[in-house]
Amino acid sequence: MLTLLIFLPILFGFIIVVLPSSMRASFKYITLLATLLQLAISLYIYLNFKTGAAFGGIDHETQFQFLQKLPWIHLNLGSLGTMQVDYFVGIDGISVTLLLMTSIVMVVAALSSWEITSNLKGFFALFLLLDMALIGVFCSLDFFLFYIFYELMLLPLYFLIGMWGGARREYAAIKFFLYTLFGSVFMLLVMIGLYLSVKDPATGNHTFNMIQMMNPANYTPGSIFNVLSHQTIFGMSARTVGFVVLFVAFAIKVPVVPLHTWLPDAHVEAPTPVSIILAGILLKIGGYGIIRICIGIFPEVATSGAFWLGLLGVISILYGAFNALAQRDFKRIIAYSSVSQMGFVLLGIASQTTEGISGAVFQMVSHGFLSAMLFFLVGVVYNRVHDRDIYNFRGLGTLMPKYMVFIMIAFFASLGLPGFSTFIAEAFSLTGAFKSALLPNWLGICGAVGILFSACYLLWTLQRMFFGSVSLKGGDIWRAALVDLKPREIIALIPLALTALALGVMPSLVFDKINDSVLALVSFTKTFIR
Amino acid sequence: MHELLPYIHDSISNLLIGVQFFMPEIWLSALFIIVLITDLIFGKNSQKLCKTIACVGILLICILDLGQRDFVKQGAEAGIPLFLFNNSLLLTRTAVNFKFIIDLLAFVLLLYADWDHKLRAHKKGLSDLYTIIIASVFGLHLMTMAVNLLSVYLSIEMVSLASYLLVAYRSENAFSTEAGLKYVLFGAAASAIMLYGISLLYGFTGSLDLFDGNFVQGLSQANGTAVSFALVLVLLGIGFKLSFIPMHFWVPDVYEGASTPITAYLSTLPKIAGFAVLINFLTPFIFSAKWIDFDFKLFLSVVGIATMIAGNFAAVLQTNVKRMLAYSSVGHTGFVLMAIVTFNQQGITALTWYLLVYSIANIGALILASYFANVTGAEDMEGYKGLGLRYTTASVCFVIILISLTGLPITAGFTGKVFVFSAVYGVYQQNHDLWLLLLMITGALTTVVSLFYYLKIPLSLFIKRLEIVKEPVSKSYNLLFLATIISVLLILLGVFPNFIINYL
Repeated sequence: MLTLLIFLPILFGFIIVVLPSSMRASFKYITLLATLLQLAISLYIYLNFKTGAAFGGIDHETQFQFLQKLPWIHLNLGSLGTMQVDYFVGIDGISVTLLLMTSIVMVVAALSSWEITSNLKGFFALFLLLDMALIGVFCSLDFFLFYIFYELMLLPLYFLIGMWGGARREYAAIKFFLYTLFGSVFMLLVMIGLYLSVKDPATGNHTFNMIQMMNPANYTPGSIFNVLSHQTIFGMSARTVGFVVLFVAFAIKVPVVPLHTWLPDAHVEAPTPVSIILAGILLKIGGYGIIRICIGIFPEVATSGAFWLGLLGVISILYGAFNALAQRDFKRIIAYSSVSQMGFVLLGIASQTTEGISGAVFQMVSHGFLSAMLFFLVGVVYNRVHDRDIYNFRGLGTLMPKYMVFIMIAFFASLGLPGFSTFIAEAFSLTGAFKSALLPNWLGICGAVGILFSACYLLWTLQRMFFGSVSLKGGDIWRAALVDLKPREIIALIPLALTALALGVMPSLVFDKINDSVLALVSFTKTFIR
Repeated sequence: MHELLPYIHDSISNLLIGVQFFMPEIWLSALFIIVLITDLIFGKNSQKLCKTIACVGILLICILDLGQRDFVKQGAEAGIPLFLFNNSLLLTRTAVNFKFIIDLLAFVLLLYADWDHKLRAHKKGLSDLYTIIIASVFGLHLMTMAVNLLSVYLSIEMVSLASYLLVAYRSENAFSTEAGLKYVLFGAAASAIMLYGISLLYGFTGSLDLFDGNFVQGLSQANGTAVSFALVLVLLGIGFKLSFIPMHFWVPDVYEGASTPITAYLSTLPKIAGFAVLINFLTPFIFSAKWIDFDFKLFLSVVGIATMIAGNFAAVLQTNVKRMLAYSSVGHTGFVLMAIVTFNQQGITALTWYLLVYSIANIGALILASYFANVTGAEDMEGYKGLGLRYTTASVCFVIILISLTGLPITAGFTGKVFVFSAVYGVYQQNHDLWLLLLMITGALTTVVSLFYYLKIPLSLFIKRLEIVKEPVSKSYNLLFLATIISVLLILLGVFPNFIINYL
């Protein structure tokens, strides 16, 4: 099932590559069909996903669902034993909601790809390749497989930003690529260190199986990452180094503040569908990686370093919000608001409480929908007049009333109005932060202040662009160009708006599925060392 | 004279026993003569014929190489190392693998040589080129097996002579003539240095046979500084073939100046054989417990780190594609040295795999450089601008090949990196040697750097735009076909490395 879900897009991508260019008009429908099929499969998975304490997942291989495990690379390493790489996919509560969110966002991204006019074959082939890699990351339980999908998304993204992006696309694309690769080559080193430390108890081989890596009993005595052997690298505990390296790799993706500078460039220069994917899905891979890999494999380091994680989260929240306040490019505001909102994910994770981690996962899902919606909305204006400067627009509300409705929904949902998804997410993250024994209360307070600032920049933007009498920089030409939403755009926006509302009213849609896994994760981190 | 008579019988029988393990090489020399004679008989029209004979011949020799695996296996089971010709050659599993890889790549190169339009325009025709390549393959075979300082030197010289001829084969302008001359001068100096080192070693031990018990023992009794000096000289001589720092100065100019197929030859085959020689040379020292005078690990680690850094960072500044690939190949040498430093079988397996994958990809990259030079006359990034959408297949292949050279999934280059890293990590886990850690960190860092310059090519091809698109000068479907096969192969090997690596 998961295999089908992962490789369905590439199948369609292959069809697109094979079809002659004369049929280029059909490519967008093929892509849409692929994403819709994918959505159908992931809906099926979501509906058939079993809950209960017996399906917690995290560190119990048997508790994962839709498992599939095939031997892939088996290599004799002589004195070091055998290297075992499996094609091993499966999901637990944490992945299943993200999977569904990804599928929905991909449909929206496919719909927004209508705007692409040049070189369609290349665009949609890369789009579907990226789709495969994204789904693959959320499903992989083998570190090697995870890494392959993780790296595989870089190349399509590089070209998607570089070829179809805005004015500074070359710079943005290479910056994004180098940043991420910098994180991931070191992740590769840690990954190799881990697999040489871990032995599969069933076969006695060195394995890349993430779930085996979570069990301290599987580490060979004296190996680098064994808890008991207290190895050091450059005078620091090897496990701390491993955690930090992995964390940096994922923090670049999230992005956490000192490592976030690629994001505004990449988001702003990317074409709308790619911005949607970047903000909606790609950032979640960072958060997902921190939960699944950093905390899963090095829980005791995560516990001892919780304060620093929380601090970074809060810095991201505030710094992102301040930056958003200072921008005059509409898309940059949204980009920085992503930085700010993803800070709550990190804060929630750092708390290591049930509330906090639930809030973090919920925030990832909610932000996935909302940021997709926001970038889509920015794209609507940009497509019509090719300008995004806030001060060039005024009174858009009267000009585009339907557009205004969606903007209001997206903005109020993002700033955490009760009744919308972000409210639940931020409330839970903050509750976790306050409740957690690991984090001082002032971190939670600062996080809460961050919400206030997010209200500031969003409302201020709303006021500057949408209220007041109509006054546009481009005059009548712009006025003619700025027609209200087309049916296709409305079709793309409605599901996003509805889910944002539905998740706010019925958070159980997500919480029911993730709860067992979060409980399992929290109890797992507690039992690990003490 | 008479006192030698009793030995004649023994040495002849030794030779005759050796011959059965020497079949690929004997057939290679036969092939060399056949191609040479064909060239002489048919004169100027012999080009196609020579090429066919050479390609078919080299494929047959590949099969013979595979047959040698059985000898090696039998030898290993019986516990007898296969020393040939009075201990001047040693047939090992590694050597057989290397020979097979060399022959396979030589086949690709022979195929590719006359598809490069510039090289084909040569007045004399390419028949001689095929002869020289076959002769050099013979030398490369010897290099992989040489375990006697004399045979090491002779085989290296043989390859060098062939390379000099190849580099200077077609000198279109002052620059490539200069490159040829530079190469000869550098090569001559390097071999002189090496010969000096060898004579010193001979002076210390009275033996040229590396695996002779007296050799290492003799060296450990001699003055440490002097021995280290001599060893460094020999290593530098080998380093000329590997092009590690500081013996890399010839690389950029020669790679840029030589014809592209020759660059493909230089950047792969002699390098592979050079690593084989290095392994052969180091083995006796590694397995001798008494050897403490000269720290090969330290030397090679430092050289490896320096090579990775210098090669990769210098490549960033280049705009000519061949020159960039030259520096990047220096960087790859540094990476492979990392695998050498492990000094174990796993490291050698990883090294063989890495070299195979690197060579395939590097040849592929140069094939595409030829392709673009043929089709549009472009040789630097500037000329590549905006070609991506016009020559989509070639450009996509280029991206795949460069990704493999960088070492990103899902290409074979990634598995190469993973295997090398895990070999080094495995050793690091046991001895916690700081140098190994530094090597790995440098390897990871330079990967990021290498991405930056490798991506410049896709950047020019796809992302930079050019208003005026030049009409193609000529077509070159053969090269495109070959490059496509190579790219597909790289992805297949990346997804299923099992197929090959378990045989290494």
